[in-house]
Parts: sequence; C-alpha cells; structure tokens
Amino acid sequence: MNQKQLHNVPEGYFENLQTRLSAIPQQHSAVTPWVRMRPYLAMAAAFAAMVVGGTALLRSTARPASVLSDEALYSYAQLIPRTDPYMIYDENAQAEESYSEEDIINYLIETGVSLELLAYEADY
Amino acid sequence: MTDQEIIALWEAGQQERAFNEIVRNYSERLYWHVRRFVCSHEDTDDLLQEIFIKIWAALPSFRGEAQLFTWLYRIATNETLNYLRKQKVRASLRFQSLDAEMERRIDEDPYFNGTEAQRLLTKAIARLPEKQRIVFSLRYYEEMKYEDIAAITGTSVGALKASYHIAYEKLKAEFQDLV
Repeated sequence: MNQKQLHNVPEGYFENLQTRLSAIPQQHSAVTPWVRMRPYLAMAAAFAAMVVGGTALLRSTARPASVLSDEALYSYAQLIPRTDPYMIYDENAQAEESYSEEDIINYLIETGVSLELLAYEADY
Repeated sequence: MTDQEIIALWEAGQQERAFNEIVRNYSERLYWHVRRFVCSHEDTDDLLQEIFIKIWAALPSFRGEAQLFTWLYRIATNETLNYLRKQKVRASLRFQSLDAEMERRIDEDPYFNGTEAQRLLTKAIARLPEKQRIVFSLRYYEEMKYEDIAAITGTSVGALKASYHIAYEKLKAEFQDLV
C-alpha cells in the first residue's frame, strides 16, 4: 500500500462505484445547449406573455379622456389633490373667455399701475 | 486506454463508451482526490456521483484545448470546493466551525488506517486555506507537476510554488510545536 494512502474503503467499493457511475449516461441524457437554455427561454417567454397580455388588458379596459362628461370631469377634479380644485374650472373658463384690451387696461388701473406705464403700453 | 483514445472515441460518436473509459481510468483517482478534502467516505461517494454527472453533462462542450485529465480534475476540484463552502455556511448557521467539524470527522473516521502522526498531519492540512490545501494535496499526495496543477486551478506556477512553500512551512511549524 502507498505510504501516503491513509484511508481504506469498504470491500469491493471501487468495482461497485464503477458500475454505478457507468449507469449515468442511461439515467442522464447528454445535456445539449438547447436543453440547458430551455428554462431561461421559458422564463423570458412567460415575461413577454405577461407584458403583452397586461398591455392588451389595459387597452381594452381603459376609456379615453374625451369620453368623460362634464359632470364626471368635475367629480374627478374634486379627487385631484390640488391646492384649489376650482382651478380646474378656471382653466375651462379661460378656454371659453377672451379679454379685450380695454379689460386689461381697466385691470391695470385697478391694481395701481402708473399712467406713464399705461401710456407706454398703449403706444405699443 | 489513453486520454487521446478516449477523446477519439467520443468524437467518433461512441459517447457512452468514452464515458465508461473515463470512469474506469479516473473514478478511483478522483475518489482519493475528493476524499482528502471531504474527510468522509459517505460524503465522498455522494459527491463523486455528482461530479461524474457533471462530467457527463459537460463532455459535449469539451473542446480539447485542455488535457482531459486536468479538465476532469478541475471539475472535481470545483465541485469539492463548492461542497466545502456549503458545509462552511451550514456550520456557521449552527454557530459551529467547519475546521472543528473536519477534525471530528478525521477522529471518528472508521476507514482511517494511518498512524497518529498522519492523523495530525491530515488535520493540519484540513486547516490550511483553500488554495494552499489544493496545491499541497495535489503536489504531496498525487505528486502532480506544477504545470498540471496550474492548469487545474487556473493559477500561475510561481504562485503555486509560493502557496506550496507557505503551506509546507505552516505544517512544519505545527509539527515542531507538537514535538
């Protein structure tokens, strides 16, 4: 026995070991790159299916904003966390109203703008 | 059968025969290689089964750039190191040390048939850091060339020589303390 061989094994162990190891090819068919990649491809396909399915679901259930009635729009406005919900209405009102130059000048006078500046603005 | 003949068998499409020749040529050598790290016959047996399954699975990707025997040893060494790392984690989860577990295994090993000095040497080798342990085991027990160990571990010959020297000095110091 080799002096550096410090262990022994059960009787007939290596013959038995070789028999067991030789059975591996029958138990485990050779793994091709395709087989090795299959779980990853399955995961990628599942993820892609979730994205496509989710997008389709959202598109089929979501309604475009233009469909909302004025009443529904005002209800939504109450839900929006803004400092002043009435700003929503003001924005709509602004779209309908237009101010004349006279209105602007009156406003400037009421707010205390000097006459020199008003004359200057009127010239231009 | 030589390694070249085994590779030729594989390339000729006789995969199972080539694998069986690898088992015939290498199962015992790899058993002893793994056994020195794992310190248990039963665990070595389980691990060897896993190693040969890996070899069978990886054989289609063997391109012949490396020697067959260094390629086989590399798989066996990597699997063994992975096993030891898992054991280390398990031991730390139980607030134990792997070194203590290995010492217990060596003390209680029913298949150990060396002298008491050899038992102490086995324990001292088990305490060496991973790389030093690999190079010492392959060099001292298997009398492998540094070039082959370098191919197995992916380390330069110079670094391996340094690791072997450090391991040797550590073991010598341990034995001087004991005497």
